[in-house]
Amino acid sequence: MTNNSTIAKEFVARGRSEVCPIIDMHGHYGTFSGIYFPNPYAEQMLGSMDRAGVSAIVCSSHAGLCDQERGNREMAEVVKKHPGRFYGYRVINPNHPEAARREVDRYPQDPGFVGFKFHPSGHSYSIAGEHYVPALEYANEHSLIVLSHTWGHSQYDGPKLVAEVAAKYPQATIIMGHSGYGEWDVAFAVAREHDNVYLDLCAAYRVNGVVARMVNEVGSHKIVFGTDQPWFDPHYCAGSVCFSRITDDDRRNIFHRNAEKLMAPFVQT
Amino acid sequence: MEWFDCCAEFGVPGIPPGPFAATPAELLDEMDFCGVPEALVSHVAMRDESPQAGNRLVSEATQNQPRLHPVWAIVPLHTGELGTPTAWFDAMRADRVKAVTAYPDRHRYLLNGLTFGPLFEEMSARKIPLILAPDWRGITSLLAEFPRLTVIVTRHSNWGEDRYFRPLLERYQRFHIDTSNYDLDGGVADAVARYGPDRLLYGSGFPTLQMGGSLLTVAQAGISDDAKAAIAGGNLRRLLSEVKL
Repeated sequence: MTNNSTIAKEFVARGRSEVCPIIDMHGHYGTFSGIYFPNPYAEQMLGSMDRAGVSAIVCSSHAGLCDQERGNREMAEVVKKHPGRFYGYRVINPNHPEAARREVDRYPQDPGFVGFKFHPSGHSYSIAGEHYVPALEYANEHSLIVLSHTWGHSQYDGPKLVAEVAAKYPQATIIMGHSGYGEWDVAFAVAREHDNVYLDLCAAYRVNGVVARMVNEVGSHKIVFGTDQPWFDPHYCAGSVCFSRITDDDRRNIFHRNAEKLMAPFVQT
Repeated sequence: MEWFDCCAEFGVPGIPPGPFAATPAELLDEMDFCGVPEALVSHVAMRDESPQAGNRLVSEATQNQPRLHPVWAIVPLHTGELGTPTAWFDAMRADRVKAVTAYPDRHRYLLNGLTFGPLFEEMSARKIPLILAPDWRGITSLLAEFPRLTVIVTRHSNWGEDRYFRPLLERYQRFHIDTSNYDLDGGVADAVARYGPDRLLYGSGFPTLQMGGSLLTVAQAGISDDAKAAIAGGNLRRLLSEVKL
């Protein structure tokens, strides 16, 4: 192996790095339609996390993508049971705007949450639509994180729409889930031009060359690690980062430093 | 572990997916970066230009590359493009080609007994692996017709395809899947626990997919070292050693 990365060598030998932990900023929880998960629940997820050196994961409940109130309650219980390992995003389903507003109102009651999860494509509702406004205003007012699914050329969450939202709510941190998959040029420009926008590696990592392009065109200080776990094995994302032609300093930014900065206001010990 | 990639490609694509390896040397450079000694390789032209052109190019380019093992593409015999079955197998032997692939949608044919009956019967007897992209309805029908055919499905979707391929793993002992896009959390360990380690093959999916993702997933799959070694390369070496040309 001609890859000289110390971190890559550690991951190949031991599956994790003692000096470079991982914080996963894009997780879920529970079973979901259309896919079999061997490890859908907390104890199983922790097993995968431990094997890959993932110290903490920020999740939203799959159930919440349908019934946000039930799903967010479920997520709160997991976060409460595993402080410091599991953090939560409150899912906002804009198709039920009254329930979405109640979820915004409930935000302060559960410790260990860092912001909101949007899935505009999944809900067929634009991220720039009015039903997301209460959550975005709250996130902006309290400097929270919004992880939104984003996909290239989507009419609901394409990167140009993310740019509109990021400009309007500059105190909220917007993580572009999947980095606007496939519309890379635009997504990277949005991340470059907006201080409050970060790229998420989830699923994007698999595309050959994309990690290096992100680093070269945006900078490793704007990229966070994400797996959709229990969807994807953290080792696949870690392997994609380890075997991209970037520096170990970049790898540290991606694996944990950027997330530590974003998570600092919310850390539970 | 002695890695042996079952799914890599080189050549200049019409629409580059991103970085690609134009030549065997460039592919070998990426393999070296990731610590992969050997690979079963296709040429882009086999798919995007024609099997006749691509098969020739992959043979020529790998002639002096012992680490790269060429794959050829098939088309139906009815048009005469591949010659006779006897000539086809003779040519495979001459060019040390031990696996074939097919692009039925791209090359506009049906992958079934009507179209490939005698060829697939012969490939079954000779244990020549047929490498396919996932079309689960088509593959399920194909295996019902040719249950002894050695099949390797590569680059199946990462959107949970276990419910499609696990019945095939259970029914057909010469059906295999690669790991290039199998990043389901716990998927490799779970599949090994149910079906043993002999049915999964390490594949990179390069250059469409990042070469190291699948590699680290297998290397740290939470299975025994023997099972990892089988998936990493042992299974593919065994399959190729069984081929009778």
